[in-house]
Amino acid sequence: MNITDSFTRIRLIAGTTFLEAVRQKFFNSLLLISIALVASSTFFQQFDFGTGELKFITDFGFGALFFFGSILSITATTQLFFNEMENRTALTMLAKPVYKLEFLAGKFLGAHLLMLCFTLVITLVLSGILYWREMVLLERLGNELTSNVSLIRYGDVFLFGFLQWMKFGIIAAFTLFVASFSNTNLYTIVVSFFMLIICQLQYIVRDTYSGMEAGWERILVLGLGLIFPNFQLFNIGDQLVFDVEKAPAVSTVLQITGYGAVYSIAFVLLAQVNFRRREI
Amino acid sequence: MATPAICIQNLTKDFAVGMRGMKLRAVEDLCLEVGDNEIFGLLGPNGSGKSTTIKIILGLLEASTGNCEIYGKPSKLVDARRSVGFLPEAPYFYRYLTGRELVRYYARICMVARAEIDAAVDSVIKLVGMTEAADRRVGTYSKGMLQRIGLAQSLVHDPQLVILDEPTAGVDPLGSAAIAEIVRELKRRGKTILLSSHLLAQIEGLCDRVAILHRGKLVREGLVDDLVQEKDAESLVVQGLNDEGRAAVEAEIKAQGGRLARVERPRLSLDAYFLKEVHQREIEHVTQQEGGEEL
Repeated sequence: MNITDSFTRIRLIAGTTFLEAVRQKFFNSLLLISIALVASSTFFQQFDFGTGELKFITDFGFGALFFFGSILSITATTQLFFNEMENRTALTMLAKPVYKLEFLAGKFLGAHLLMLCFTLVITLVLSGILYWREMVLLERLGNELTSNVSLIRYGDVFLFGFLQWMKFGIIAAFTLFVASFSNTNLYTIVVSFFMLIICQLQYIVRDTYSGMEAGWERILVLGLGLIFPNFQLFNIGDQLVFDVEKAPAVSTVLQITGYGAVYSIAFVLLAQVNFRRREI
Repeated sequence: MATPAICIQNLTKDFAVGMRGMKLRAVEDLCLEVGDNEIFGLLGPNGSGKSTTIKIILGLLEASTGNCEIYGKPSKLVDARRSVGFLPEAPYFYRYLTGRELVRYYARICMVARAEIDAAVDSVIKLVGMTEAADRRVGTYSKGMLQRIGLAQSLVHDPQLVILDEPTAGVDPLGSAAIAEIVRELKRRGKTILLSSHLLAQIEGLCDRVAILHRGKLVREGLVDDLVQEKDAESLVVQGLNDEGRAAVEAEIKAQGGRLARVERPRLSLDAYFLKEVHQREIEHVTQQEGGEEL
């Protein structure tokens, strides 16, 4: 296998997958709903003004990013995979000198690229709204402030977006893994959502593990904790944006990024094991 | 002896069906050889194992037992597919790409050198007669045009072996005739063509050899003429003979120890008749238009 040629083919398949994905009505609808939701956060007037409002907008935006991003990641990956199977474009593609792993990697990267697009738009909209509200607040509080201060660290908004994007990568990869042995869209979507919930609540397993005595049960729990990635690691929104003292170290961010990349690659490789034997 | 384009030996393919994994045999002990620069037809009713065989040749399925080689290389190797072009039945392509972009995309997937891509794309688009429609979106193409652009994508990397799965299914007789002509042109260019079909009239005039599959087993294989000719009879096509002359011929045949088995009028196939008539009208239409323009 020539690595350069391999990367070229993966890039080409990813590019087509991405183009196909952004043309889907579902993606555009979800993107618009997410933007509308993030934008609407400023109209919740029952919360206190001051930095409380900015915190609320941030939490609301992060929540929308995670919620809609997870839905999009699962449904888009499923649809992109099964479109190729049902329309038999996969047949045309795999009849060429293309490895099945290249095909899967291309599909994964195409879906991941779509999520990058989604994440960027949402974080840009969120940053824009935060900037607007911050300006309004600073104007109001101008006399009380002694120096030019910024209430928000905008870099952290994008850092949070980046970490969520890494998490979406894992979601897309395990969706691809489920799709590799599944026969229907619905089954893939349902199982992937269950996996998403398990990964969100995986920390409970870890807590249980720390309180258990040595034995096969502890090994089982440890195994489960390794199989399902811990999504709580990516939820560091509280440490970002406002509190300088709590800001995570660069090494922590790099570790989380590496954690996401390892799980994404592992799930794509597992998908390849199933896909090799699949009838196309 | 030259390496055969395709060599299949004792190929069997079983599928596991249902929860208990019951075996369904799709292909059984198939032995087949397709020579280089040959047009070979794989015939059979639906469910006879044609598509499964093609998928094994393309490395998309693994055989349960037996071997399949393309120009001496095991077909399951990706490397073997460098010399293969494939047009699936009723192909579907990315609708938002133009015909030219689509062919270009597949050329790049097949790692055609950058310097050669434009020439290769133009050449195959011209070969399949899609030059005028090449810059239209694939989503606007008719079924016949989809088949042609599908053929173009299968040829863009200049493969030695071209596999066509039901290339004329759902295409009108004019489109079918055009595809048949492209297949003949490919043979003239030295390519090997394997095509599967159940439209036997179209295959008959096109293939050098055919194999007939039934329930996964090879029933017959050989040259088309050898298979369809009646070995113990000959036909004389006679024109301008009156009743007396015919009686004399019959008497002479009897005198020579022969037997007149049947007398029938030679007839064109409906396909050939249709093409002849449409072609004639097309020429008249073009002539009229040219005449009108001159006036």
